[in-house]
Amino acid sequence: MIAIPLPTLGQGTYIDENALQPGQVNTYWHWGDVHRADRYLEALEALRDRNASSTEIAGYLVAEFRRAGLAADTQEYTFTTTGGSRTGVNTYAVSPSPRASGTEAMVISASWLSRTGEGDGTLNLRGVSSVLSLAWFLKDSSLWAKDLIFVVTDGYLDGMQAWVTAYHGVSQPNLRAEALRLTSGVIWTALNIDYPGHSFSHLGVFFEGLNGRLPNQDLINSFQRISQYTGGVPVLVYDHQDSLESLGLPSWTPDIMKNSDQLKEYGHRVRNVLRHVGYQARGQASGVHGLLHQFRIDAITLFAIPATGPHGFHSIGRVVESTLRTMNNLLERLHASFFFFLLVRPTTFLKIGSFLPSAILVSVAMMLRGLREWVNAGSVWVPNATPGEKNETIGGPAYNGQWLRRQRPVLKAIVIMVASHALGMVVFYLLTRPWYLHDPIFAPLIMFGLPAIAPLPTLLLPKKEVTNEAPLSVMLKSLNLCLTSTVISILSMLNFSLAAVIAFLAGVPLCYASYSTNVALRVLRYVVHIFLAFGWIVLLRGEVLKAISNWELLGVWFAPFVCVVYAPLVLQSAVVCLLPTEG
Amino acid sequence: MRYSFKSFVCTLCLGVTVAALSEEFHEELFLRPLRDGKVSARFSFSTLLNGAVPRDPETLGAEDESQLYTLFPLALGQILREYAVTELHLTLNAGKWNYDRWGYPDEPGVGTGAELWAWMGEGGIASVDNRWLGLRNALAGLFCASLGSLDEQRTTSPVLTFQPEGSLPNSTVNYRLRHATLPSEHVCTENLTPFLKLLPCKSLSGIASLLNPHKLFDADWHGLGMHVRYLEGAGVEVRLATQAVLDPVRTSSDKRRDWSLSAIFDRRIEKACPVARSSVIRVRLPQNETYAIVPSPSTMDSIYATYLVREMEKPLDVAILWPEETKFVYPTAIEPQTHISVHRTLNGASQHAGHLALTVTNNHDTELQAGYLETMPWLLQFYLHTLHAEIDGVLRDDLVKLISYTPALPHVQPALLQAVLTLPPRSTMRLTMDVVKPFLAYTEHPPDAQRGWDLPPAVFVPFASQNASQIGSDPQQGAVLSDVRSTRMYTPVLLVDLATPDFSMPYNVIIMSCTLIALIFGMVFNTLTRKFVVVRVDEKKSS
Repeated sequence: MIAIPLPTLGQGTYIDENALQPGQVNTYWHWGDVHRADRYLEALEALRDRNASSTEIAGYLVAEFRRAGLAADTQEYTFTTTGGSRTGVNTYAVSPSPRASGTEAMVISASWLSRTGEGDGTLNLRGVSSVLSLAWFLKDSSLWAKDLIFVVTDGYLDGMQAWVTAYHGVSQPNLRAEALRLTSGVIWTALNIDYPGHSFSHLGVFFEGLNGRLPNQDLINSFQRISQYTGGVPVLVYDHQDSLESLGLPSWTPDIMKNSDQLKEYGHRVRNVLRHVGYQARGQASGVHGLLHQFRIDAITLFAIPATGPHGFHSIGRVVESTLRTMNNLLERLHASFFFFLLVRPTTFLKIGSFLPSAILVSVAMMLRGLREWVNAGSVWVPNATPGEKNETIGGPAYNGQWLRRQRPVLKAIVIMVASHALGMVVFYLLTRPWYLHDPIFAPLIMFGLPAIAPLPTLLLPKKEVTNEAPLSVMLKSLNLCLTSTVISILSMLNFSLAAVIAFLAGVPLCYASYSTNVALRVLRYVVHIFLAFGWIVLLRGEVLKAISNWELLGVWFAPFVCVVYAPLVLQSAVVCLLPTEG
Repeated sequence: MRYSFKSFVCTLCLGVTVAALSEEFHEELFLRPLRDGKVSARFSFSTLLNGAVPRDPETLGAEDESQLYTLFPLALGQILREYAVTELHLTLNAGKWNYDRWGYPDEPGVGTGAELWAWMGEGGIASVDNRWLGLRNALAGLFCASLGSLDEQRTTSPVLTFQPEGSLPNSTVNYRLRHATLPSEHVCTENLTPFLKLLPCKSLSGIASLLNPHKLFDADWHGLGMHVRYLEGAGVEVRLATQAVLDPVRTSSDKRRDWSLSAIFDRRIEKACPVARSSVIRVRLPQNETYAIVPSPSTMDSIYATYLVREMEKPLDVAILWPEETKFVYPTAIEPQTHISVHRTLNGASQHAGHLALTVTNNHDTELQAGYLETMPWLLQFYLHTLHAEIDGVLRDDLVKLISYTPALPHVQPALLQAVLTLPPRSTMRLTMDVVKPFLAYTEHPPDAQRGWDLPPAVFVPFASQNASQIGSDPQQGAVLSDVRSTRMYTPVLLVDLATPDFSMPYNVIIMSCTLIALIFGMVFNTLTRKFVVVRVDEKKSS
């Protein structure tokens, strides 16, 4: 895993789909369109300054779309979660393309709140102005083969979730959204514009979707090339500046390290990989685009990284126009390029074959360890009570005993495992209750205490003598390791980052969970394990709340996965430490 | 002088022949400004073969009478005689007709892609289905369109919606309808060129000279149509039609909606078609607006201006100007221009099951009824028992009267669903039905780029409800509705994603893994089965 960001690994990105032909067209977005975007920005700023309500803003937007000659409408929605309810109004417009049958569509979207600080209230006014101005501009060409849908969503993620689920006719129990009166065809690709600052220096690409889904790499690569060569805007992965100082090496590091290009490159890559793992493992969308992946829409967010210059509406308009032209060329869905990749630099990526083994190797090691425990459990070395009686002829202390076959108490171990997963479900159920959300001090302690104390009675179990039955702890450890290994290897195909994080966190503790005769040591090991399993309830309350809200709003299965799969697995290992060993 | 004399002689000769064979050619261009600044143009070229009767299918085995036409297209005439077709309609359209903004089209057949339907009499040596097969292939050749793909898997017989537009001779013969649509068919120059060849003046003179492919195929919507029908007492009529919705606002530099023939077609009428019995340009005039129309028309009333091309000064360039507008302002809200509005969507992201949803809105103050037709290939299979109608969230299954349903047979025939919906005034009905997407055999996947399968449009025929017409006190309302009768409305087509293997990828994987397994197996098997024996070479023997 440490080797993944190595500069020697990875290969350059390339366009795989022949139809795309990125950057091969003349762009027609000109200063008149920029001017119109500026006028819209003024109007939106006026709306912001007088604290206009969502309905008011949506009313203004829909009127502007209609003035452009497009069919436009609004959509109201209400989410009800344990944390309260959120309402908002989305606006969208459909531009039917000349001569096209309207069976395929592309989406150009902007959310009212920027992704800066995960929707902390920074407004995306320039993004919305760009969408409005693009609507006027794009509908004037007859070359579109796909319908264009312009969407301005309210809020940060909630608005798009309401819109995209309504578009696909999917109902969500805690969401009440108006049905869409205007529809188009199947959406193939989507670009989300996020432009919070005054000007920008780079365009950052955000691509992680819900539950670790990624868009086809051709979309990112086309955008990267178009931005670089047509728009003249350098592209970054996320908002990570490319500068050498930004690595943040402490001042005491020797100069030779500071000046090493290899090390700098490694540092940049580590940062990108960690950011990626952070989004993907938590199943979190890195922008509004991420909500579209669940409906097989390839989508990315173009994030205009706030700076004092030199780029503005002129550049972003050209880049979006040219990228849409490229996607317009598609005869089939994006399928040629990679769906599993690790983008370490804007133009360098790792194929699945290069990074998958890191998690799989840990998983295989755990499986082998588990099998060894299984074999160990099957027989026991019993030293001869009367040495020198039987084995005189062979001699030597090593042979002074015999292997006894013994039974394996599989059922007991499985009962413990099932019970621990059931406990995880109880914890998850309780976490989603309102009283947990509203009580920041005692609720986490109670929640942590419940699974931590439940297995303690096992301490009272008497120490077992050597019998013809293997000790429970060995059996439990064996099955626990095998199960964890299976979970990791399956998960690595669905969500590599989550699998890697689990392998990293649980790999060593689970393998080295051992039974000791010393009660204090047993308890100490138990405490370490239990903190690994459930410590997040107390220590990372903010993360817990975010994960639960993601689960309720967007159906991200990170929270239930941690409660029902990961924590119980570590808990089983904790029980292994706690169980009395044989005398 | 010489030129005009020559053309006079030419016209005279042609005129004489026309008179002798009794063929008439009429051409008309109808231009209609639309609410959203666009212009709808409909070209209609009809040739009437006076006194002709469609071939009786009983005579198919015998030798046919000789066909001598002057104006009537021979290539088409031969096809009609060969397969004894009584009535034939072929449309090739590109785009999505926007009923809400553009109203009813002047030519009702506006379904996206290709649509072919024919009425044929039974009898004779060849069955109707055999002749339908031949007809498809012959027309495919004539129009350079993939009409050959309109096979049994797409052919249905929806007699309620597609009634004959002419008359059917000899009522003792049973007539059969064959109808098929191919929504993925694209219309382009290769279809227009053979279409123009069927006209007596080609695109050299007359109204047809305006058919400039560069402009026609840049329109927001365009379509070609061919309609053959038998008119009792008159003869066989072939009508070739072209329809387009052009956008002068988009193409003008200053965003005005002023249009002229030279602006929207990039051509003017330089000379009239000499063989045309009538050649008319009709323009629907804008209502309640200040406008100017040039040149001054031959006749004009409050709704239409009419130009008789033959009498007008050439070159003729009809134009409407709105001198008071500096820039076209789109109306913020356009009232739906049709009696009902229909939206059809296919929901569900999975590749196995889905959900077909239609919303039908009655834009009128009276109760309406609408015939609903689905001719769905087996690529999408209905669960008819899940068909439900809702109005404002209240289940109203009583408003759907199912007329007939033929379920689809996988790999064989499409489903045919005909129903009548009753639409209460000013209300929106939501029809939903669960559908299932089947698996295709691997040979059924097309070899070209795979984007999904286009599904044909649903067809709606709005008509006045019987209750309403009984109660109906407003005669004007009744007139409007009778006018609507038999106007078909096509919904946009749908795209369905069926489970499609990535054909190249498994192939690579299979080859790669088979090679590896073969190599490993070979080595392991070899090592396991080979017996290694130390052979001591006996020195005595060898020496």
